[in-house]
Amino acid sequence: MSIAITKRNNVKIFGKGTQAIVFAHGYGCDQKMWRIITPAFEKDYRIILFDHVGSGNSDQSAYDFEKYSSLKGYAEDLNEILYSLDLQKVIFVGHSVSSMIGVLAAADRPELYEKLILIGPSPCYINDNEYFGGFSYKDIDELIATLESNYLGWSSFIAPVIIGNPELPEYSEELKNSFCAMNPDIAKHFAKVTFLGDNREDLSRVCTSTLIIQCHPDVIAPVRVGEFVHKKIPDSKYVLLNSAGHCPHLTAPDQVISSIRSYLTT
Amino acid sequence: MNTQPFLENAEDLYQNAPFGYMTVRADGLIVNVNATLLKWLGYEWEEILLQKSFQDLLDMGGKIYFETHMMPMLLMQGEISEINIELKGKASIKLPTLVNASRIHDQSALETYFRFSILDITQRKSYELELIKARQEAEQTIQRLKQINAELEQFASIASHDLQAPLRTISGLIGLSEKKGHFPVDSEVTKYFSLIKRNAQRMKLMIGDLLEYARIDSEELPFEEFSLNEACEIGLEMIDDQVKESNAVITIPELPMVIGNKLQLARLFQNLFGNSIKYRSESDPVIRVAFEEKNDEIRVFVKDNGMGFEEDLADQVFGFMKRLHSHDSIPGTGIGLSACKRILAIHGGTIGATSEPGKGSTFYFTLPR
Repeated sequence: MSIAITKRNNVKIFGKGTQAIVFAHGYGCDQKMWRIITPAFEKDYRIILFDHVGSGNSDQSAYDFEKYSSLKGYAEDLNEILYSLDLQKVIFVGHSVSSMIGVLAAADRPELYEKLILIGPSPCYINDNEYFGGFSYKDIDELIATLESNYLGWSSFIAPVIIGNPELPEYSEELKNSFCAMNPDIAKHFAKVTFLGDNREDLSRVCTSTLIIQCHPDVIAPVRVGEFVHKKIPDSKYVLLNSAGHCPHLTAPDQVISSIRSYLTT
Repeated sequence: MNTQPFLENAEDLYQNAPFGYMTVRADGLIVNVNATLLKWLGYEWEEILLQKSFQDLLDMGGKIYFETHMMPMLLMQGEISEINIELKGKASIKLPTLVNASRIHDQSALETYFRFSILDITQRKSYELELIKARQEAEQTIQRLKQINAELEQFASIASHDLQAPLRTISGLIGLSEKKGHFPVDSEVTKYFSLIKRNAQRMKLMIGDLLEYARIDSEELPFEEFSLNEACEIGLEMIDDQVKESNAVITIPELPMVIGNKLQLARLFQNLFGNSIKYRSESDPVIRVAFEEKNDEIRVFVKDNGMGFEEDLADQVFGFMKRLHSHDSIPGTGIGLSACKRILAIHGGTIGATSEPGKGSTFYFTLPR
């Protein structure tokens, strides 16, 4: 196992099984987001967690604006992690932007993946003729402007008073810190790459069997987008959760766990 | 006068409190909103109620934040506080707000609802923007200053190595030529070469002083508490030869403790004592150090019996490379006293001088207590 890659992506490995599940976090988050989900799989699987470069506790100095100017850079990292751990035929679980990172990685190296599980995937956030992504260019510009002018608002400014949850004491603390952990320049760049990207063409290149987990309503990745992904990935299944929002692994973890479980046992 | 407590009308308080109130379902749908918030956003009751969700009032950044942070936190811990988020009202109204929210604990309710209280922070936001702008400007200035400093350090290193090396060669070759008797006695060539030698010496002095000056700012500056006597003694050691050669008599009383950089203050005394000796009168130099303590400062005097100068020129002597004498009459670079001024600026002090030609000079400096 390469220490350099482990350090670069803050790779964490645990669990008792042999089959590996790799969890990849979404934009503005880090691997701690999987905390409620992973205990359900620890007994039967080997859990691999990591932070994308520029997020969480990854090696900030490894952030290369050129390399990460498209999701390909992140997909390469993902395959490098699997390669360095000598893993094949893994189950990949990606949230939001990481769904597309997983799609790109599996399209390039199908032998590394047995199954893909995509939570709230969107191959293209911007509306384009017939295609409905949910956002316009203006929305994305606004987002970048928000990150430019109000970065504090997303991080330190909101930080002072967040009271812990008695059931999940350290959890809210982590949630709060995930945005703070991101360097503003990287946050901006990652936002552009994430929300301006168009990976619609890559979906049909996926030959790995895939599950799409969709929430309703989800303003970031609307139902129509999830359906589009399902239509384009040949060997895919689609499950609509009875939950609103974009982070069901946080807000409806039981539904996410049971969806993953039943998909893995079929 | 009525001394009864004021009886609040709950509905009036809800509608017209100087606070925005809103009740939303777990998916964000707005199921109640107060008049104050409607007024701020420019909407009518019918346009919002059961028509819009909280997310509809957010721009894309806000939506992402709401979905990935606000709502998960609300669902998990039942409350959130002091979330800074901008709401979009009707006709491009933008309202910077601070949002607190908590779950409504009503066992009979089938669905989960949350109450949002919304504070208008337009003014606070504009101050914040000013602050961010000021910080950015300050950071840029620091960057620029760091760059300038780095360039200066590089310049100092060029001065020390690249300029001194050819100078050493020139001086060395002249010395060698003299030794080998290449210059006939009393010839014009000898005179020229003696001039070249003197100028090379002068340049060496200037480079040395410039380096010293450049070092004042580039050095790491540990501040400590010590007796000024220590700085005096180190300064004197640095010019031990000059003191002995000139038969100078230096009296130093017991000086107070100060907080500063010992080595820099030693250089300060070295310069002041050195000047008293260099600009001496016919008589042997007599230098007296004295001090007085005021409320918030210590004032130290270095008084000599040297040649003195017109007091009108007192300010000039601290100018960078400013001199009252030609190099030929008294060699010097005009850097020493400006270095003293710099050292005192770093210590939060000042320097000045009083003098009268033929009657000696008094240089004084202050240090904060």
